[in-house]
Amino acid sequence: MTIRVTMTVNGEPLTADDVWEGESLLHVLRERLGLPGSKNACEQGECGSCTVLLGGEVVCACLVGAGQAEGADIVTVEGLGDGEQLATIQQTFVAAGAVQCGFCTPGLLITAFDLLNRDPDPSDATIREALAGNLCRCTGYEKILDAVRLAAERAR
Amino acid sequence: MTVSTEVRNRTAGGIGESPVRPDGTFKVTGQFAYSSDLWMDGMLWGATLRSPHPRARITSIDVGPALKLAGVSAVLTHDDVPGEKVYGLEIADQPVLAFDEVRYQGEPVVIVAADHPETARRAAALVVVDYEVVEPVTDPREAVGHPDWKPVHDEPGERTAMSRDRAPVHPHGNIVRHQRIRFGDPDAVTADVVVQGDYEVGMQDQAFLGPESGLAVPADDGGVDLYVATQWLHVDRRQMSGALALPEEKIRLTLAGVGGAFGAREDLSMQVHACMLALRTGRPVKMVYSREESFFGHVHRHPALMRYEHGADRDGRLVYVRAHILLDGGAYTSSTPAVVGNASTLGVGPYDVPNVGMDCWGVYTNNPPCGAMRGFGAVQAAFGYESQMDKLAAAVGLSPVEIRTLNAVSEGSILPTGQRIDSPAPVAELMHRLDAMPLPGSVDQDIRLLPGGVSNTTHGEGVRRGVGYAVGIKNVGFSEGFDDYSTARVRIELVGDEPSVLVHTAAVEVGQGLVTVQAQIARSELGVERVTVAAADTQVGSGGSTSASRQTYVTGGAVRAGCAAVRSSLFERAAARYGPGEFRLVAGKVESLVDGVVGDIASLLLDGPVEHTVQWRHRPTQPLDEATGRGNAHVQWAFCAHRAVVDVDVELGLIRVVELACVQDVGKAMNPDAVLGQIHGGSAQGLGLAVMEEVQVVDGKLRNPSFTDYLMPTIMDMPPMRVEVLELADPHSPYGLRGVGEPPTISSTPAIVAAVRAASGVDLKRVPIRPEHLVAAALCH
Amino acid sequence: MRPFQFVRADDAATAVQTVTANPKAKFLAGGTNLVDLMKLGVERPDLLVDLTRLPFDSVDVEADGTVRIGTNVRNSDLAAHPAVRNGLPLLSQALLAGASGQLRNMATVGGNLLQRTRCVYFQDVTKPCNKRQPGSGCPARQGDHRNLAILGASEACIATHPSDMAVALAALDARVAVSGPDGDRETPLAELHALPGEHPEQETTLRHGELITGIAVPPLAYAERSAYRKVRDRASYAFAVASVAAALDVEDGVVRDVRLAFGAVAPKPWRAHAAEDALRGRPATAASFRAAAEAELAAAEPLRDNAFKVPLITNVVVRTLSDLAGETS
Repeated sequence: MTIRVTMTVNGEPLTADDVWEGESLLHVLRERLGLPGSKNACEQGECGSCTVLLGGEVVCACLVGAGQAEGADIVTVEGLGDGEQLATIQQTFVAAGAVQCGFCTPGLLITAFDLLNRDPDPSDATIREALAGNLCRCTGYEKILDAVRLAAERAR
Repeated sequence: MTVSTEVRNRTAGGIGESPVRPDGTFKVTGQFAYSSDLWMDGMLWGATLRSPHPRARITSIDVGPALKLAGVSAVLTHDDVPGEKVYGLEIADQPVLAFDEVRYQGEPVVIVAADHPETARRAAALVVVDYEVVEPVTDPREAVGHPDWKPVHDEPGERTAMSRDRAPVHPHGNIVRHQRIRFGDPDAVTADVVVQGDYEVGMQDQAFLGPESGLAVPADDGGVDLYVATQWLHVDRRQMSGALALPEEKIRLTLAGVGGAFGAREDLSMQVHACMLALRTGRPVKMVYSREESFFGHVHRHPALMRYEHGADRDGRLVYVRAHILLDGGAYTSSTPAVVGNASTLGVGPYDVPNVGMDCWGVYTNNPPCGAMRGFGAVQAAFGYESQMDKLAAAVGLSPVEIRTLNAVSEGSILPTGQRIDSPAPVAELMHRLDAMPLPGSVDQDIRLLPGGVSNTTHGEGVRRGVGYAVGIKNVGFSEGFDDYSTARVRIELVGDEPSVLVHTAAVEVGQGLVTVQAQIARSELGVERVTVAAADTQVGSGGSTSASRQTYVTGGAVRAGCAAVRSSLFERAAARYGPGEFRLVAGKVESLVDGVVGDIASLLLDGPVEHTVQWRHRPTQPLDEATGRGNAHVQWAFCAHRAVVDVDVELGLIRVVELACVQDVGKAMNPDAVLGQIHGGSAQGLGLAVMEEVQVVDGKLRNPSFTDYLMPTIMDMPPMRVEVLELADPHSPYGLRGVGEPPTISSTPAIVAAVRAASGVDLKRVPIRPEHLVAAALCH
Repeated sequence: MRPFQFVRADDAATAVQTVTANPKAKFLAGGTNLVDLMKLGVERPDLLVDLTRLPFDSVDVEADGTVRIGTNVRNSDLAAHPAVRNGLPLLSQALLAGASGQLRNMATVGGNLLQRTRCVYFQDVTKPCNKRQPGSGCPARQGDHRNLAILGASEACIATHPSDMAVALAALDARVAVSGPDGDRETPLAELHALPGEHPEQETTLRHGELITGIAVPPLAYAERSAYRKVRDRASYAFAVASVAAALDVEDGVVRDVRLAFGAVAPKPWRAHAAEDALRGRPATAASFRAAAEAELAAAEPLRDNAFKVPLITNVVVRTLSDLAGETS
């Protein structure tokens, strides 16, 4: 009992064969499509490390069934930059020291990227509310806030 | 020359600067390979079957049904362990796979390899294990000597090379270690003012985000290569060597990307299991724990029960401290002896106390094993002694800052172990600086930043503000006579026409920035900006553990020493080329102290590369006397203080930490941004312990092994921080630096609790504080 | 996770038919709860029928003011819809108080209503649980029940319903549209969830194969003066310890009408009729609000570790209604 899943990931049409129905979108991305940037830290949508854009909205890829992702348009951390240059939010995460162990970083980048697309000039409280679904255990979040503020500033 | 003096006098990216992390770009693009990202053609997936019982005898194990499942390659039990069946950091008492008896819920019993992770999990579930359930020991008070106590271990574990000489193990009991501190005359002394208190610290989880994982690859020589996330490659290898019955040189470990550690990776998890499966199947085997399994797969912070009595004169000057500290070590030894050592020797805090009587026990129970977590031992004691200092302040009419500065240790103070503090100990200054910092403004206007967060519970009504202070002390590095060293291989050579330095150690980067600081040291020492830090592996000597705030100190010391050896060789070449003299290396140039720039470093390398490998150790320490706690046990102390400002909605039991202010002495800020990162992150973990984090164990069973139920701070819970960093050099350490990582975790918890007490008037005795502690107490008012 | 088959439904009738035909089949929507429970082994379906492409994805306001919400409307979209954000603040606030942005983007209306309890014994397949395994027993009364019910529980089960959204809908007298093998029907939300009694395994009045297609929220004149307030163990992204949905109609300082429902204290979203009755016609004061909460909680059966929920929910009621009274005066 396996299925074929076809989707557009970071602008590229990709197909995974022999996918078992119980696999998550996250598993398919990581183990079948060679895109391990999205991280698996809790497997129940409670940490945000696997956050991807699905149809333009942030979701936890660990809770999306592989079959449900059929035909979907996905953006992962691997698709944020243009291959040559890092996206602004990627640059500011490095510059601000928002990256320590980095395991939460891909999910946070996607969430912050989404926030800044919707609200280019968020207040601190708005940044906090938007990123509340992404746990980080290393940084105490202070420099993550700096990175998002800096990215908003650079975009102005 | 057009180069300015400033540039010539400094090599860019050296110590004291904050260059960007060398792994930063990889981490923000998803290219950084964590241990759970590894992949190899033909690899199998491992899974672990664990005990559902906290205590039971195993009467039989039938692996037959699992082996029959299509896709399964191996199903192994304790019978398949090639070598020693037990392992341990200090004392080998933990089974690789359970035999005869299981002693905690989650203890590994059977391991499986299969072609899909789900197949492996299903196969594990098909194994039939018959258990005869035995009543567990779950109350540490019972374990330590209540008349009804039941022994968890019938026999003591075997001592290993890492055993501390002073770590006693009862031959037939539950006491891992009982450390006494007797200083002055604690039994006879009396005082005008006496305050007492009982305190309790719940079990905290390190909750790193990257789960335990790794890839084991069988090698042609009969050995195995393991790519793994850990804290100490060489001590993993030593334990693996025993269990796998392979000589250490046939076990090669390479550090894979580590998704945080905080102590939870100091003990083995999947290392031996993956290697057993790889060696048995002849195929690469990857194991990745789920979050639930991770809660069972690593040690936690010891829960503590504490009873303190502080005696002081009417002015508030401490006369004596008597204390009992009971630490629940769970089923196996892990690092409980060291945790007892820290809690007892640091148990009165950074205060001058002329008479101390302290008893600290670490005990075995059938609860989950506890071991290393950031600030181990010091965190628990600080909640006790700092709560007491506030009580004492109230009793004698002093402020929290006054009582602490009055009793603060300083350089030259004698600790209760008899050891003299022989480097700066600016405890009073930390308090004064905190006190001088401006307080945040009144209740926040954005309701999302009020107690209750986005829950819309208040618009400011019912909210009371409180301010609390705390200061903590932590030993840096491994204490009590442990031979604590690190090894560095440093090589300089021409790459292209440019001088380039390679730094190679086995010291583990867990996110804290060790790779950055190693390169900074090499730049400053060798005057070369192009520095590469090689992947940590066992091809070089041990770097020691990434724990106890020790890596920048000890591996930093080793890298500096390695660079010094390389530099000496370069100076010999310089003398041969330019004539005898004294030289230095700066920004790619060779400078004679007399003649200025005489040439390029590159030209010294035309004769070939220079490479040295050195071992470096900090000054020796001594064991503690078992009966009195006497001994120069510690190499260095670090001090950190916090002021917490909280808003509390007492009626609803909700707390918002409004601001954390922190002052820490780091000796020398090797990388100021990374220092801030450690202070922010450490403070956040202390906040978590104060107001939400607890592994809930009922009758030996975990109740919340998930991130849905084990709550840790989100970005909504963590307040802005105000941080001041002092740099008072320690004359005994490289560059004068002090360990940074643990101290901020120690004082943030008691500062927050003090602030909540101040706001609510509730006498809080336990962390984490939960809504019911406030709501129920408010009713009584 | 056990092996299962996955099919994507193209129309509701086929979805209903497919699930009806297989006693071990389940509907799958956002997956935020079901997928998690499958990983834990609590849910063990043979077949999942994916509903996410069904057309129940709009919010419509009818002429009489009834708001009809398709079951596939994502929680985030529903919270942001003008008719909800402006007209039904308690519902919008309840939705935004739930989970995280990522999960609200995935979670649907029907799935939210049918969430399973967070009781640790239910979630852990190695423990007895009358809800998961009828007759196996309930360790919660003696064991870990800090988060569990003080109202509406039974000897067999003291689990709580975890939804925030459903509490607001209970206060609003919402109706649930159901499509089943025998056709379509509508049921009051109040009758969707069952109290445990001796059969905690029967959580709802839905029959196997019946599909929630949407909900209807009837007009309430004073719904704009409403709020949802939630106490939890951290500032965001956690289930409720206690919550209150309320709407208040005050005239001349007297309560003309009130809607009140409690969350996280009962096996279902708990409409507080006794409190409402006690409050109508009374002065809109903190004392009245407290008395009303106490009237409702007279029936409470608190246990050792959840007794704090009695004063806590009382305080939340007083706080919420006082605030609404202040807004209206």
